[in-house]
Amino acid sequence: MNIIEIKSMYEKIIMNIKIKKPEDRVIPYQMLLEAISTTKELVERILPENGIPSLRIGLNEIESGLEKYLERAREDLPVVGYHFSLPAEFLSCYDCVPVCIEGTSYFLAALHYGGVEKYYDKANNWGHPFHTCTSQKGVLGMTLDDLFKFDALITPTAPCNSTCSSYPFFQHFKNFLLIIADMPYIREDKSYVYFGEQLQNAIYELGKVLDQEPDFKKLRDAIKLENKVLEVKLEIFDLIKAIPSPIENIYNPVSCATSVFLSGMQENLSFYEKMLEIAKKRYKNGEHHGSLEKIRSIWPYMTTFFDISLCEWLDRNLGMSILFDIFNYNFFEPINTSANLDQLFIEMAQKTMNFPMTKQSTQFYYPFIDDCVNLAREFSADCFIYTQSLACKQFGSIPKILRDALKEEVGIPTLIIEFDVGDARMTSLKTFKEKISMFVQTLI
Amino acid sequence: MLSLSNDPFLLMSNSISNKKTKEWAESGKKVAGYYCTYVPEELLHAAGFLPFRIRSTGAKDTDLADVYMVRFTCSFVRASLNLALKGYYDFLDCFVVCNSCDHSRRMFELFDLKVFNRDDFKKDVKKYYISVPHVITNVGFDWYLGEIIAFKKRMEKDFKIKIEDNDLINAIQIYNKNREFLRKIHQYRLTKEPKLTGTDFLKIVMANASVPKNYANQELERVLEILKDSPGIGVQGKKRLMLVGSVIDNVEFVELIEKSGAMVISDFLCFGLRACSDDINFDDNESALTSIARRTYFRTSCPRMMNDHERRLQDLLNEIKNSKIDGVILQRINNCDLHGCDNMLYMHELKELGIPVLNIDREWYQSDYTRLQTRIEAFIEMLEK
Repeated sequence: MNIIEIKSMYEKIIMNIKIKKPEDRVIPYQMLLEAISTTKELVERILPENGIPSLRIGLNEIESGLEKYLERAREDLPVVGYHFSLPAEFLSCYDCVPVCIEGTSYFLAALHYGGVEKYYDKANNWGHPFHTCTSQKGVLGMTLDDLFKFDALITPTAPCNSTCSSYPFFQHFKNFLLIIADMPYIREDKSYVYFGEQLQNAIYELGKVLDQEPDFKKLRDAIKLENKVLEVKLEIFDLIKAIPSPIENIYNPVSCATSVFLSGMQENLSFYEKMLEIAKKRYKNGEHHGSLEKIRSIWPYMTTFFDISLCEWLDRNLGMSILFDIFNYNFFEPINTSANLDQLFIEMAQKTMNFPMTKQSTQFYYPFIDDCVNLAREFSADCFIYTQSLACKQFGSIPKILRDALKEEVGIPTLIIEFDVGDARMTSLKTFKEKISMFVQTLI
Repeated sequence: MLSLSNDPFLLMSNSISNKKTKEWAESGKKVAGYYCTYVPEELLHAAGFLPFRIRSTGAKDTDLADVYMVRFTCSFVRASLNLALKGYYDFLDCFVVCNSCDHSRRMFELFDLKVFNRDDFKKDVKKYYISVPHVITNVGFDWYLGEIIAFKKRMEKDFKIKIEDNDLINAIQIYNKNREFLRKIHQYRLTKEPKLTGTDFLKIVMANASVPKNYANQELERVLEILKDSPGIGVQGKKRLMLVGSVIDNVEFVELIEKSGAMVISDFLCFGLRACSDDINFDDNESALTSIARRTYFRTSCPRMMNDHERRLQDLLNEIKNSKIDGVILQRINNCDLHGCDNMLYMHELKELGIPVLNIDREWYQSDYTRLQTRIEAFIEMLEK
């Protein structure tokens, strides 16, 4: 046994001593639940009864989902960390506590008092480069503080270098087992077959680690439920074409949260069904959430997770609708749940490869440009706001080409803002507001 | 004291095109540009191309490239795009990119749309993309081999050529010889009294990646002859360092270290030892193309290979032991997540083993010379205590 192995064994023993209750293996989920409860209380007490429904409904559903996860943790079920692009319903074939690595960092950044910067700094001080993705860095920092104890982590090799480079930390320094499903960075039929096999092997490997047989009936049921979610989402997406948009801006980050945390749970379907009802009603009455809808914007990347109040400010102060962000315009075909297992996994592979960011990263960027041009026309967009995150290197060579394409083919302008999705210190909310306000002056 | 610094072969590393690339193009033969060592050079050679590894040598700024790539993009990639936008890579007849990293992978589209589609550029440059798995497994190898076979077929079709087995076998022999020469040269760095500097070795590897391999082999043999009789460069007593991390194709950085009072005795770089540490084992059990692909895929990996850190660490430790170095400099070009995180792991692992280590970030161009010099000198001072 070498010195590194001795050290990791020692760390494991110390960690086991530190854990007094089984739910202490997922302390950040407790923090998140607390943050949600506090935000919910504020929403309930301050906002009028119909104010920001997506936030109100979303918080209720996420709270319910997280409570279920924590209950599972209390039952001492194994904790499995998963990458956001691996739909959580795929883990439903096991009795476990699924923890979304990226979702945890960013939703704590959005809702936790004081943000997650402390954990980013912890990871940076440990040697993690400043330019990697904060979505992983947050949980990495939390793990350095022993706030998580995973039984295994599972991730595809997409969508980015940050994913490929950050996850090995968990394996090499915390001895958490890392299961990798290799995803080809090319979109051909053979890619789905290859990744489908990778996914299937990864799920079986996870079963061995957890000492459980996969329950494929549960998996198929969860996928069936997500197929329904997809139907509802598409209906909402269609309604957004209406002027004014019947969906408030904050729906975008909340929808992202439910998608990554609640996939395969009844709560996810419930969120979208309730939102569809609201959207239909607003559509019928020609209502807009904010004041008057003056500008319709598309955000082909993400909004500011370090402070989602920007969404509400845009709605109310500028009359700018965010029609959708990256998490709300990438859809996939429903999965045929009666297919045989191999085919089921191929279709699951297709879904994963069409997930936001993964889709753009595994393709050349020509289809992305085409998508943006078509969406701009179809949704009567007045402008694009391209938020370029420090960590997303793949997206970093697109803004200029996209801006030119939108200008030439649709005649609309693009504002590019460089930022960090989860860290308020790189580009502050104030800077965002100022930049967008100035941009809006050129539009109206 | 014998110096290689003005050797005509080494001087070929100072610019993008050189006498040999010009002669090659003028004789009507074709040049294939490629970004990364996961593109099998032997296949390009067998196809009758001059394989030319894309570099940024000589770039003074990134102003043109910055229009298309945000500042979070690796400055090496931006510098190479800058040169391409200025026409420095107009001599290419085909361009091969793989998804080695997020930065260089997007070069496929940018070269396609902005370099080879310029108004003043009329040549029909063929472009190829190879999807390389991010893990090292047998299944991954099957995928990679499939990509290489498809790439070969597309080249044959596009250029109306036939790449025969004999061409591939010949390429294997030439490239194995080439790697053997480089390893022999490297051995002269390792002796108690090194016979060449780290800067010289980098120049040799860069020149080697820019000229026809038959010519390179002659030149390497000649350099070996020079070194054989050389008494050494008189640096005994200087601290012996190893350089690890992101691609280095600007000699100024290595020179900076060596001017700071140390010698770069060994490295773990893709423009360095990692490119030549092993050979293709070819026998009758599999096709020549399979053997080429096997070596390219399974050799000491780049951090892009997500499941291979342990093996990389072991290879690194073997080289540390072999080269008897006093310390390791881990360096990354800013925004290189792959090397940045791998270096983070190495830093902790090497420290645990009591190996002195300096972990630094830099830009491709030497914009922060003084900061780097201070840190490197402080590290060397620490080693001297």
